[in-house]
Amino acid sequence: MREILSIHVGQCGNQIADRYWRLVLREHGLTEAGVPKDPAATANNANMEVFFTRVRDGKYTPRAVLVDLEPGVIARIEGGDMSQLFDESSIVRKIPGAANNWARGYNVEGERVIDQIMNVIDAAVEKTKSLQGFLITHSIGGGSGSGLGSLILEKLRAAYPKKKIFTFSVAPSPVISDSAVEPYNAILTLQRIRDNADAAVILDNEALFRIAKSRLHRSPNYMDLNHIIALIMSSVTASLRFPGKLNTDLGEFVTNLVPFPGNHFLTASFAPMRSGGQEGQVRINFPDLARETFDQNNFTAAIDWNNGVYLSACALFRGDVRAKEVEENMASIRKSLNFASYVPTGIKIGCAETAPDGFSSSGLALVNHTGIAAVFERLVSQFDIMFDNHAYTHWYEAAGVSRDMMATARNTVAELAQSYRDAS
Amino acid sequence: MDPTLEKQIATASRSVEEARRLAYHDPSRIGALVEQISVLADLRQKEGDFRKAESLYREALFRVLDLRKSDPELLSGIYSLLAYLYDRWGKMDEAAKFYEKALELSERNGLAETDKVATIKNNLAMIFKSLRNHEKAEQYYHEALECFLRVDGENSPRVASVYNNLGVLYYSHMEVERAQEMHERALGIRQHLNQDDMDPADLSQTFINLGAVYKASGDFRKAEECVERAKKIRAGMNGFRPKPRRAAALLVDANG
Repeated sequence: MREILSIHVGQCGNQIADRYWRLVLREHGLTEAGVPKDPAATANNANMEVFFTRVRDGKYTPRAVLVDLEPGVIARIEGGDMSQLFDESSIVRKIPGAANNWARGYNVEGERVIDQIMNVIDAAVEKTKSLQGFLITHSIGGGSGSGLGSLILEKLRAAYPKKKIFTFSVAPSPVISDSAVEPYNAILTLQRIRDNADAAVILDNEALFRIAKSRLHRSPNYMDLNHIIALIMSSVTASLRFPGKLNTDLGEFVTNLVPFPGNHFLTASFAPMRSGGQEGQVRINFPDLARETFDQNNFTAAIDWNNGVYLSACALFRGDVRAKEVEENMASIRKSLNFASYVPTGIKIGCAETAPDGFSSSGLALVNHTGIAAVFERLVSQFDIMFDNHAYTHWYEAAGVSRDMMATARNTVAELAQSYRDAS
Repeated sequence: MDPTLEKQIATASRSVEEARRLAYHDPSRIGALVEQISVLADLRQKEGDFRKAESLYREALFRVLDLRKSDPELLSGIYSLLAYLYDRWGKMDEAAKFYEKALELSERNGLAETDKVATIKNNLAMIFKSLRNHEKAEQYYHEALECFLRVDGENSPRVASVYNNLGVLYYSHMEVERAQEMHERALGIRQHLNQDDMDPADLSQTFINLGAVYKASGDFRKAEECVERAKKIRAGMNGFRPKPRRAAALLVDANG
């Protein structure tokens, strides 16, 4: 069994957890309390163990660790219909928040909870037979998800050097901003993701907003955005959890998607994108599905598609798709994508038989495109404007993050952007 | 790994989880949680996984620090457990730091006259010895000695241990006469302990130490005599192996 442990950090990370586990429960035929709806059907599904631990009375508990420095979101999960689902010993919450400050999440509050978090993670890892890796959901603009998330990443890498770490990192959007210090938090976090993660799927709220709006034909809310993220996360791991002809695990994704060390920042696309209410009617022919999966407007980050090339791409189709169709259509899509001259224009393809709940078939694309440099460059320039004027840096210095540390992080991210540009 | 230890760890791990669940809703259960955590951490140390043990003790530490009503005795206990862990891990600076924290806290809260404090001072002296800080080591051994003398009286095995430690310290600094005096005092106590407190391994060690001291001062006849007696005691021990670390035994005594 190749288990996966999910770690949800901060407000955003836990809101994603809410949508994500709902989706996974439905995919596995479990109720909101983790009890199989049809015990006979689940008994045959050994792959359940990838995401769940079987506890007494045939109940299943997610392999998940929920961490937040504010009680709000976790309290809502616990007060809602999934109140019986999560193991309380794997929920870590501390009352004083990180106050949107990366340094507080990383140093001040982080220091007080990191050991408890690591103990909970160690205990969860010991319950697995052969852990393949970790999924982390967090935002990189806030305080808890970015600062504490960075600390968790570092500790996790030190404790489990050989396990794959995949982050789903929600980046501040180019236009809408929740707080003035987002660029600082984002830059400091990106440095840790670059150094400690195996792959990071960058999601930005604006891109998600655009997708949601164009596909749902109404104004979307955070639930819709998190649902899109949940669909992507579930598809990344689908071929491990469900039988299929082409299996891909986290390790294979990393091997195929990361051509240079450190250049492991990905963007994702899910198709067909439909709103919750429309599910169940979705039937789409394969050529359309494949086209939508690789539609530039369908990707979750503000990539500079025109000034860049594909370094690598993975596709995973779920549900009612035929191998022959996949081959034929992917050949033409492959030709249409602008790959770097020095990488063979291959797309790693996986298939799983079970589609997400409410879909007859679906597609996921994970791509490594050099245009992602635009995301980093935008953050660096926002960082520079504030940093050069010493704006807000006293909050970071007060919490033990010097201007030198911030400058180092900034330069790391600037180099990262440059290395993507150079790879074009 | 030792299958018994593995089972113990699994059980302790489950107890910690259960205690975490209880403490999650009821902060008054944190004391029980801390207790379970230290059991697990101790097993982790036996397993040799210092990182996990460290992280467990540190969780206990911050849990206790978060308590509304502070508990200096519990807190200083955790500091010394952490220090002891760092000592075994070879992180001497960290060990000294945490022992000193434990000490400061105990003294601030009127716990100076207890055997716990004496044990901490003894262990701290050992660390300063290995850090080659002779003055501090000597000072802490003497403070530990005074404290044990007050708590246990003159003829206690713990007093003898500190005499022995002082003897070793002086010997390593080539202060042979003072070393001899200390080992002779240790011998005086160790020879006359009652059956329950008598540890043949300690006694033979004292003879060996004394032998070394006599040899250094040129009295080869006495040296040989001591070594012979040590050999005789060892031969009578029937393969019994002494505990690897005296400090460990001391600390466990004090915290038990």
